[in-house]
Amino acid sequence: MTPPRLKIDHNKCTECRMCYVACREIEINAVVVAPTSQHFLEIDERCTYPGCTVCLMYCPAEGSIVETATGRSMVPPPPEVWTENRRRPRIP
Amino acid sequence: MHPILTDFLNKWVYPTGFTGPGVDFRLRQTERCLPLWDRLVMQAIKAAENDLQSGSDEYKAARARGGYAAEGPFMSLKQMSTQILSVSAEQQPKYIDLQRMRARQIWDEVKHGQLHADLLLRGGFIKREEELMDDARANTQPKLSYFGMTAMFPHIHPLARAGQHYYNESMACLGIAATLSVIDDDLIRHQLHSQSADELMHFMEGKYQIDAYALTPEDQRPIEEVFDFLLRPWAPEPSRALGGNA
Repeated sequence: MTPPRLKIDHNKCTECRMCYVACREIEINAVVVAPTSQHFLEIDERCTYPGCTVCLMYCPAEGSIVETATGRSMVPPPPEVWTENRRRPRIP
Repeated sequence: MHPILTDFLNKWVYPTGFTGPGVDFRLRQTERCLPLWDRLVMQAIKAAENDLQSGSDEYKAARARGGYAAEGPFMSLKQMSTQILSVSAEQQPKYIDLQRMRARQIWDEVKHGQLHADLLLRGGFIKREEELMDDARANTQPKLSYFGMTAMFPHIHPLARAGQHYYNESMACLGIAATLSVIDDDLIRHQLHSQSADELMHFMEGKYQIDAYALTPEDQRPIEEVFDFLLRPWAPEPSRALGGNA
């Protein structure tokens, strides 16, 4: 199984759940709550990054979501990941 | 435009995960906010510089008491409760995630009150937080939109608050950044850093709600009315009871 391409740095994450809400809204559901007493959030293999970057656009905790392969922080999102083709249409 | 504002816009305001009428609406409202956000940065820097030149530590207590008035338990619970109550029982399924964000913010706001009390305690200005309950300076503030009468009416549109989140919480973020650029006092810096991620999250609540939910004119209108009020309040002066002229 391919590991998730994004992961959460729990030293930076504030557990605000914006990523969870956004990922659920677009029906990818790749952000899950880990079964631990701290209820940490985790990103699982359903994540479609770099095709989808929605969570990065609403995460308020700098450095909290990173690329698994490179460790590169994706919060705040670098300009190259919020290009038009990666945004999801929201229509009534 | 001040670099603090430019930085904030490029990092947190302009990146969006969606296309569509919600994003378009948000960016139009953003253009309206820019002049006041820019002015806020300049005012915050000036206020911090004046504090440093005051020659005493009283400014630290004044800032903390004012912060407690804005974010103390009473105000936080009142404000956030009315936000949650603005969603009717029938609308809960549609806005359940919005409700969870607001529920989270109850904790955040009450915690921020604790941070302000903490500064006063550790700075030796008070011995117990209970002293603040009898201090008018820690319980009154002149801000109309977020904390005034509109906070008491739960019947406003469930998305209307998104306008306040977007406009007001951005100013919290900008104010924090501006103050941190000037003041080097450990107590104040600790208090500001401790709440900065929360304030940005509250801003993101507004950003997300507008991008994701404000898709029709019917949903956008109440949010735009909030912006209309915030950008041009009909009673900008504090009342005489609070030291103003109105």
